[in-house]
Amino acid sequence: MKEHIVSSFDEELQKITARISEMGGLAEEELSMALEAVRLRDGALARKVIESDDRLDMMDARLEHDAIQMLALRQPVASDLREIVAALKVSSTLERIGDLAKNIAKRTQVLNEGQPLRVTGSILRMGKLTQTLFAEVLDAYTSRNTSMAVSVWKRDVEVDEMYNSIFRELTTYMMEDPRVISLCSQLLFVAKNLERIGDHATFISEMTYYVVEGEQLGDDRPKGDPLAAFIED
Amino acid sequence: MNKTITAEAQIASNIVSAKISARKVNVFYGDTHAIKDVSIEILDRSVTAFIGPSGCGKSTFLRCLNRMNDTIDICRVEGTIELDGHDIYDASVDPVQLRARVGMVFQKPNPFPKSIYDNIAYGPKIHGLAQSKADLDGIVESALRRAALWEEVKDRLAAPGTGLSGGQQQRLCIARAIATAPEVLLMDEPCSALDPIATAQVEELIDELRKSYSVVIVTHSMQQAARVSQKTAFFHLGLMLEYDDTSKIFTNPDHEKTQAYITGRFG
Amino acid sequence: MTDLASSAPQRIDWSDAELRKRLARRHSGDKWLKFAGIAALAISFSMLGILVLSLVSNGFAAFTQTHLKLEFEISADRVSAEDPAAGNYRAIVRDAMLGLFPEVTSRADQREIANIPSNGAQYILRDRVVADPALIGTRVTLSVPVSDPYDQLAKGLVDRKTPEANRRVNDQEIAWFDRLEEKGLVSKPLNTGLITNADSRFPELAGLRGAILGSFYALLVCFLISFPVGIAAAIYLEEFAPKNKLTDTVEININNLAAVPSVVFGLLALAVFIGWFGLPRSAPLVGGMTLALMTLPTIIIATRAAVKAVPPSIREAALGIGASKHQVVFGHVLPLAMPGILTGTIIGLAQALGETAPLLLIGMNAFITQAPGGILDSSTALPTQIFIWADSPERGFVSRTSAAICVLLVFLILMNALAVVLRKRFERRW
Repeated sequence: MKEHIVSSFDEELQKITARISEMGGLAEEELSMALEAVRLRDGALARKVIESDDRLDMMDARLEHDAIQMLALRQPVASDLREIVAALKVSSTLERIGDLAKNIAKRTQVLNEGQPLRVTGSILRMGKLTQTLFAEVLDAYTSRNTSMAVSVWKRDVEVDEMYNSIFRELTTYMMEDPRVISLCSQLLFVAKNLERIGDHATFISEMTYYVVEGEQLGDDRPKGDPLAAFIED
Repeated sequence: MNKTITAEAQIASNIVSAKISARKVNVFYGDTHAIKDVSIEILDRSVTAFIGPSGCGKSTFLRCLNRMNDTIDICRVEGTIELDGHDIYDASVDPVQLRARVGMVFQKPNPFPKSIYDNIAYGPKIHGLAQSKADLDGIVESALRRAALWEEVKDRLAAPGTGLSGGQQQRLCIARAIATAPEVLLMDEPCSALDPIATAQVEELIDELRKSYSVVIVTHSMQQAARVSQKTAFFHLGLMLEYDDTSKIFTNPDHEKTQAYITGRFG
Repeated sequence: MTDLASSAPQRIDWSDAELRKRLARRHSGDKWLKFAGIAALAISFSMLGILVLSLVSNGFAAFTQTHLKLEFEISADRVSAEDPAAGNYRAIVRDAMLGLFPEVTSRADQREIANIPSNGAQYILRDRVVADPALIGTRVTLSVPVSDPYDQLAKGLVDRKTPEANRRVNDQEIAWFDRLEEKGLVSKPLNTGLITNADSRFPELAGLRGAILGSFYALLVCFLISFPVGIAAAIYLEEFAPKNKLTDTVEININNLAAVPSVVFGLLALAVFIGWFGLPRSAPLVGGMTLALMTLPTIIIATRAAVKAVPPSIREAALGIGASKHQVVFGHVLPLAMPGILTGTIIGLAQALGETAPLLLIGMNAFITQAPGGILDSSTALPTQIFIWADSPERGFVSRTSAAICVLLVFLILMNALAVVLRKRFERRW
């Protein structure tokens, strides 16, 4: 798209886009560090995740401030308006993803106190998938690539399905051995957080689509229903 | 694109019907081709905004709708423009009478250097719309009331219209235009010479007038078009590139040029 | 933005000596321009001042007229009651004068004494008696003008030290006049005759009444023709005429017409109005028509300018509510243009008032002792009257010429003042 006649408008828009990229990178890093902490049972790494999340919160607050200023002073319309509104929403989504990563990191401290469980492997695989989707959707958002965004949006169902199987696995464990209930419920939360991150990633792909096409992506996203597992039983 | 618009207009015609429908309108100033193949359906009881960069032909097209272009010797209009289904460029239509039905408000407030009363009464007088003095008084009062000016000027109807403030003058001009009971009101950048408060008052008035008239407004202020209109047409180099609901135009226009223009990317 | 910032505009040292010098030069340029303007104004004003001063000082003498108060015996044998106009008033005046100088017996001296009052005294007396026949048989005291040489003497325009042979009045005549003055019979009242009398061969009786009325009628005719015709032409050209070659030609020719020497119009009038139409010579009607020819272009140009100056927004406003073309013109354009049109018209008429050459050609410089009663009577006009008087040999006409010019100037000033007043009064803002 051509540049604005008022170049400072472009600069502000670029600044916002750059902030989102930076926040995305930070959230990505947080997530991978949290997963590393789970894998390596590394308490120090987990604490690092918790610290770095403060920065993400701060960046979100700053972006919100800038975006509101632009809305008030520039009265953007059409693509500019969508860009800024999407940035606002994506920013707070990233902030929430950061919170979820932080939550995962917090739980490692409890997990480290118990025995390592075999199911952790499945959770880490789920984490890998979530990471991939998240990285892809960030790419799609920065490059305004709708087809990539739509593919992420569709593939979230895989995360949901993995979550369902982990859920089943963990409930089986807990039924078999009540001593691991506290440990397993921690792991259940980790898995739930990963599933939430996947949902947030689809939201970012929806925003990507909205920025580019000016329309909502629609409501018929394939979803893995977590309750389906019980109803089936 | 036009097809969908027409279809949309027909769907909407249960509530609001097309007041003016223009088909393949071309306007020439001497050798200059000022308007190229413009087709549009302007709805009744709604505000339609024409936007576009300077010289895009939006004012020219507006002036075709009440045949103000007739006063320019070298101007030639082709195509059909229908008001309630009757071609206004038909030989049987007298432009003088047409202008009573399609009123016009100009960029600069231009009250006559006469009293406020005479400014309003002029139109009804020349068209013979009042049978008696009492009739005329009634017309003047109701026009001023509709223009939201009555309360401000009722005690000084004999004072010169040129003595009012800019915003009041513009509302006086609007009152003057609606005194001949028009069906359509054309406004050519009615707020470009007014301060923000006066602009807001005129915009409020336009919103009010929408209930009784079909209002067409040419404006350079995109925000104004967004604020007052239900439909927006984007003109560029004599072409009408896009015509759609205002909310659509300002959030997600179809045409790349519209997008560039309303976001300030032209040039 | 960053590359803009890197090439930040260089700061200029405004206290630099070279720049200061330049600034001083520019200011001195301003001062010179202002000075030149003032000087030009001063020169034109002093020229005007000299002109007015010389006119007034020359003409001043003509603003008063030496009068002699005489007692006339209207005896019934000199004036018959049946036909008072046919009386021998000349003898009555003569008797009244001789009565004041009983010691003079020589016939030649008696004739000289009888010549002290103006030749017009008898007519003044006659008019008085005709107006009131009851005066026959009584004695009437009247103030009558003295003849030109004595008028000059009384006003000090005749230098008593000049050798007698070079004077218009000899020592004896001066002595007689001095005796009259001693008796208190001589007075110098304001010369109302200058305005109320028609032209005369005798300077002391000559007035501008005929010329003023002639000019008035001529201007009236001129106005009645050129104002409506000029406005109509201008309105057509400005509002209705298509913009083509023909209109352009008409336009150029109107401007050319304004530059045609007035004498040409005079010749044209002589050939057409008098030669073809057979209109009477010397008549204000023909004069007015000739002047109208000259005033027309001025009015057309002024009207077009005034009509053009009416803002198009007013026209649009009227058209926008459905006024037809003539309603726009008569309801809006003309009223707004009127001050400009009136100003142009009055300036055109003022120009016409001062115009001489065409009037000379159509015979408005005839010697006419009767004020015109209408536009078909022969008459003169103010400028031609000045022309006639300037040509007359009598001494008394020298000051009268200047006085007449003053009168003409007063009329011009009044007309221009009227133009200013009208403009101010009708000026409307939009």
